[in-house]
Amino acid sequence: MAEALILDLEAVHALAQPTTRRVLAERAATILRVAHQKRALIRVPAPVLAEVCRGVRHDSAINQLLNNLGVRVVELDRAAVQQVGQMLARLKLSSAHAIDAFVVATALQFDTAVIATGDPDDIRRLAAPFPKIGVFAL
Amino acid sequence: MGQPAAKLSVSVPGELAEAVRKRVGAKGPSGFVARALAHELEREGVGALLVELEEQLGPPSKADLARARKAWPKR
Repeated sequence: MAEALILDLEAVHALAQPTTRRVLAERAATILRVAHQKRALIRVPAPVLAEVCRGVRHDSAINQLLNNLGVRVVELDRAAVQQVGQMLARLKLSSAHAIDAFVVATALQFDTAVIATGDPDDIRRLAAPFPKIGVFAL
Repeated sequence: MGQPAAKLSVSVPGELAEAVRKRVGAKGPSGFVARALAHELEREGVGALLVELEEQLGPPSKADLARARKAWPKR
């Protein structure tokens, strides 16, 4: 299994619209460059799309990013979704944190992974038991 | 359900073909080659995205690169 860079909400937004989110985009581009040097895969958990997609009029930049052959959306299977439920239960978190947990569950599908996120505190809390997951704060 | 397979005939150096045969054994090279091709296409896609981003944002600073490398967990 490979290494991966997992893009959370802010990373997707920043890479899709780099000039309107310049500081975040510079950081996202930097971790993307390091991932490329490491031959890591670039992945977007499918539930993140629920946060970033807001209809045809707003989604053209997002779709352009997702149409790049190197940026692939990961759909989660039953085992991964049940793992999300277990993560939330372990930390006594409500389903309001479900998408963060989906992001961590996606990272767990790889040997090692880095999650690029604008929400590092919640992601770090969920990823804390998993030393093969790194968190890069945008 | 997977997509239907398509035949693709390629020529590679003899040493490379031998190394692939040793690596894949009785399974045959199709799965191995398909993964390699997919990974290479993905890398080209990300490479093109990085070029676009650098045109718009400029190159990353050494400090940012160091922080990004540090974020990567050890294998």
